[in-house]
Amino acid sequence: MTTVFHIFSSIILVYFFLLNSLYLFFIILSAFGLNRYKHINAFINFKEIFQMPLVKPISIIAPAYNEENSIVESARSLLSLEYPQYEVIVVNDGSKDKTLQKLIKAFDLKKTKWVFRKSVDTKPIKGIYKSLSNPKLIVIDKINGKKADALNAGLNISHYPLFCGIDGDSILEKAALLKMVRPFLEDPERTVAAGGILKLSNGSEVRTGQVTKVRVPRNWLARFQILEYLRAFLGGRLGLSMLRSSLIVSGAFGLFRKDIALKCGGYRAETIGEDIDLVVRMRKYLHEQRISYRIAYIPDPICWTEAPETLKSLANQRIRWHQGLIETITYSKKMLFNPRYGITGLFAMPFYLIFEMVGPLIEATGYTLFAAMFFTGNINHPFALFFFLLAVVFGSLLSILSVLLGEHSSRQYPRMSYVFIITLFSFLENIFYRQFISVIRTKAFFDIFRGKQEWGAMKKKGFSIANQKQ
Amino acid sequence: METSLIITAYSLIFLILLSISLFLYIIVRRIVLKYNKKRFMRRYQSIEKDILRLITFPQLELSAEIARKYQSYPNVLTKVLFDYIEQIEGLGKDQLKKVFDYALKLKCLKDIYSRRFIRRLKATHLFVVFSEPSEAVHIMRLLNDKPLVRLVAVNALSRIRTSQAISYIFQAFERDPPSNARTYINILFGLGQNIEHFVRMYIMKPLPLEKLGLLIELTGAVPLRSLYQDIIVFADHPDKEIRIKVARAVGKMHIPHSYETLERLSQDDAWVVRAQAVKSLGKLKDHRALDILTDALFSPFWHVRYNAGYSLASMGLPGLKRLKAIAKQKKDPYASDMATMVMDEIVYSEGMEWARS
Repeated sequence: MTTVFHIFSSIILVYFFLLNSLYLFFIILSAFGLNRYKHINAFINFKEIFQMPLVKPISIIAPAYNEENSIVESARSLLSLEYPQYEVIVVNDGSKDKTLQKLIKAFDLKKTKWVFRKSVDTKPIKGIYKSLSNPKLIVIDKINGKKADALNAGLNISHYPLFCGIDGDSILEKAALLKMVRPFLEDPERTVAAGGILKLSNGSEVRTGQVTKVRVPRNWLARFQILEYLRAFLGGRLGLSMLRSSLIVSGAFGLFRKDIALKCGGYRAETIGEDIDLVVRMRKYLHEQRISYRIAYIPDPICWTEAPETLKSLANQRIRWHQGLIETITYSKKMLFNPRYGITGLFAMPFYLIFEMVGPLIEATGYTLFAAMFFTGNINHPFALFFFLLAVVFGSLLSILSVLLGEHSSRQYPRMSYVFIITLFSFLENIFYRQFISVIRTKAFFDIFRGKQEWGAMKKKGFSIANQKQ
Repeated sequence: METSLIITAYSLIFLILLSISLFLYIIVRRIVLKYNKKRFMRRYQSIEKDILRLITFPQLELSAEIARKYQSYPNVLTKVLFDYIEQIEGLGKDQLKKVFDYALKLKCLKDIYSRRFIRRLKATHLFVVFSEPSEAVHIMRLLNDKPLVRLVAVNALSRIRTSQAISYIFQAFERDPPSNARTYINILFGLGQNIEHFVRMYIMKPLPLEKLGLLIELTGAVPLRSLYQDIIVFADHPDKEIRIKVARAVGKMHIPHSYETLERLSQDDAWVVRAQAVKSLGKLKDHRALDILTDALFSPFWHVRYNAGYSLASMGLPGLKRLKAIAKQKKDPYASDMATMVMDEIVYSEGMEWARS
C-alpha cells in the first residue's frame, strides 16, 4: 500500500513540477512578447487604416441569449467602433426574456424579407431585422440552438470576408477592430485568425458603451477571476502563441477569415466549446491542405467582459468551458502526437490534453491521495506541510508575475490599493478558489460521461445596472 | 532532518523571498513611473509652450534655440514633435522639421543603422514623418531589412513622392514576396495619379499572379482611367482571379465604353467573374445592361443573383420596374425572393445608398 502511495505521489510531484515550470516558461516568453509589441507599435497611428483602399470589411456576430439587461448597451458599443466598413449582426438565440423587444425599440428595427445563402446548417430563423436608425445593424431572431448555432446563423447572413465572433455582453474598445485587423494587413495571405486580451468589466465604470474607469470589483469571486484572466491571457496564451501553439481564440472576441471557417464547416453546432473547437478544426484543415498559416495574438486589452459573481454561475461556466475542451480534444484526437499536424499535433494538442484537460483530474486525485495518506498514517507531516506551502507560494508567484505583466500592458488598475488587493487575493486563491475550480472541472468529466450538457447561461447584472451599484 | 525536507524548506524560503521582491518591485515601479510621468508632463508642457511659440512666429533661430534647449530630452521632444507635426501644414511644419533636424536627426540616423531591430524600427517610424526627399538614400538601405522595417521604409518613401522614391518603391514591390504585396498597394494608393507611369510599366512585366492582380485592382481603386486600355487586355487572362480584378477595376473607373468589356465578362465561364461583372455593370448605370442584369437575376448562383438584384436597383426606375416584374413572377422563386428583398431593402433602409455607391 505504501509503495502504491509513493508511486502515485511521485507522479503527482513530477506533474506539479512540469506544469509550473511550463507556466513559468510561458510567462517569461510573454514578457518578451509584450515588450516587443509595445516597441513595434510605438509611433503607429492605427487610424491610418481609414486611408487604405484594401482594408477588408468585418462582420461582427454577437449571439445573445436572455441578455435583456445588457444587449442594448452592448449593441451601442459595437455600433460606435472605429473601423472603415463593418456590420453588426446580433443573433437573438431564442431568448425567453425581452432581448428582441428591447433591440426593436432601441434601434427602430423592421422585419425584412432577407434572402441569404445557407453556407452552414442552423436552427430555423424566425426573422431578420434591419435598423432604420443605424444601417450597420442587423438582428436575427431564431430558434434556440446554443452559441455555435447562433454564430453559424450570423455567418450565413454576413456580407464580409472577415468575421468577428463576440459575446453579446462584451464591450470592445473603440479601436479594437483597428488593432485586431493589423495582422490581416501585414500578412494577409497567412493570417487566418486573431485574438486579443480580455479583461473583466466587473466593478469598472461603463458609459456610452465604453469602459471609462477601471476598478477592482468588490465581489471576491470576480477578484479571483481577475487573477485567472491575467494568468490566462498575459501569461499562458501569449506565451503559447509565441510558440505558435495557442488553440484558443476567445469566443468573447476573435477575428477570423470567413472563407477558411466556412471550408471547415463553420462552428460545430453540437459543441459548447465553439471557440477552441473552431480553431482546432481550422488548424487541422490548414495542416492537411499544407497551407502555411498564422494565428495572431494582440497583447492589448481590447475587450471587456462580465465575470460570474456567484458560485453557481461560476461553476456552470467552468463546467461548460471544460466540457468544451474535452469534446474538442476527443473530437480531434487524430491530431494528438501526430507529426502530420506539425507543432499543433506534437506540442499544442498534447499540452492541452495533459495539462489543461487532465490537469484538474490529477489535481483532484492529489487532494484525495493526500487525504488518504493522512488518514492511513502514510504521510511525512512536515514534508506534506512544506510541500503544501510550496504549492501555495509557487501558485502565488505565478499570479504575481502575471500581475507584473498586467502592469506592463495598458489600461491597468490605476490605484495603488488595487495592487495590494490583487496580490492578497493571489495568496487566498490557492487556499480555497483553486480547489473549488479543480473539483468543478473534474465534475465536467462525470457530466460528459453521463451525457449531461448544459448551456447554463449566467445571470448578468448588465453594465448599466452594474454602474448604478458603484 | 531528511534531505527532501531541507530542499523543500529552502525552496519555500526562496519562493517567498522572490514573491515579496516581485511585489515590492511592482510597488516601486509604480511609484517611479508615476514620478517619471509627472516629470515627463512637466517637460512636455514646457516644450509644447515653446513649440507653439515657434509655430505662431516661425523663425530659424528659434528652431535652433529650442533644439539646443531640449536635445537632452529626446523622448519628450520626439513626442511633442510627433503630436504636432501630423496636425499642421505649411511653414509651421517646416519649423518642426528644423527642430527635428537640429536635435534628433543625428540620433535617428544612428539608430537607423543600429543592429537592434526595435531601435531600427522606431527610428524608421520617425523617418516616416520627418523625412525629406534628399534623405531617401538612408531609407533605401532599409529596403533590404526585415519585412516589418522594410514596409515602414516603403511607407516613408511614399511620403517623399519624388519620381525616384516611387521607382524605389516599385523595385521593392517587385522584389518582395507576394505576401507583402497588399501592404504595398495600400501605400501606393496614397500616391494617387503619380504612380500611373510605373503601374503601366510594371503591369507588362512577368509578375506573379498575386502582384499582377493587385496592380490591376489598384488601377480601379485610385482610379487610373488612362490605364483602361492596358488592363482590359487581361479580361481574357486564363486565371479567373485576374479576370475578377479586371471586372472590379473597370467597374470603378466609370468609363462609358467599358460596357463591352463588362458585357463579355458577364458571360464568363466562372460564376465568380460573372458575379463581379454584374456588380460593376450596376455601377456603370448603362441602360444597355438591363437585359444582362435581368438574366443574371435568374442565375443558379446566389452571388450572381444578389449582385444582379442590387445592380438593377442602381439603374433607377427602369431597373426597379424589372425588379417588380421579377418579384411577381412565380417561375423562379429564387429570383422572385431576391428581387423582393432588394426592393424591400430600398424601401426600409439604406439600399438606395448602397445602389448609388
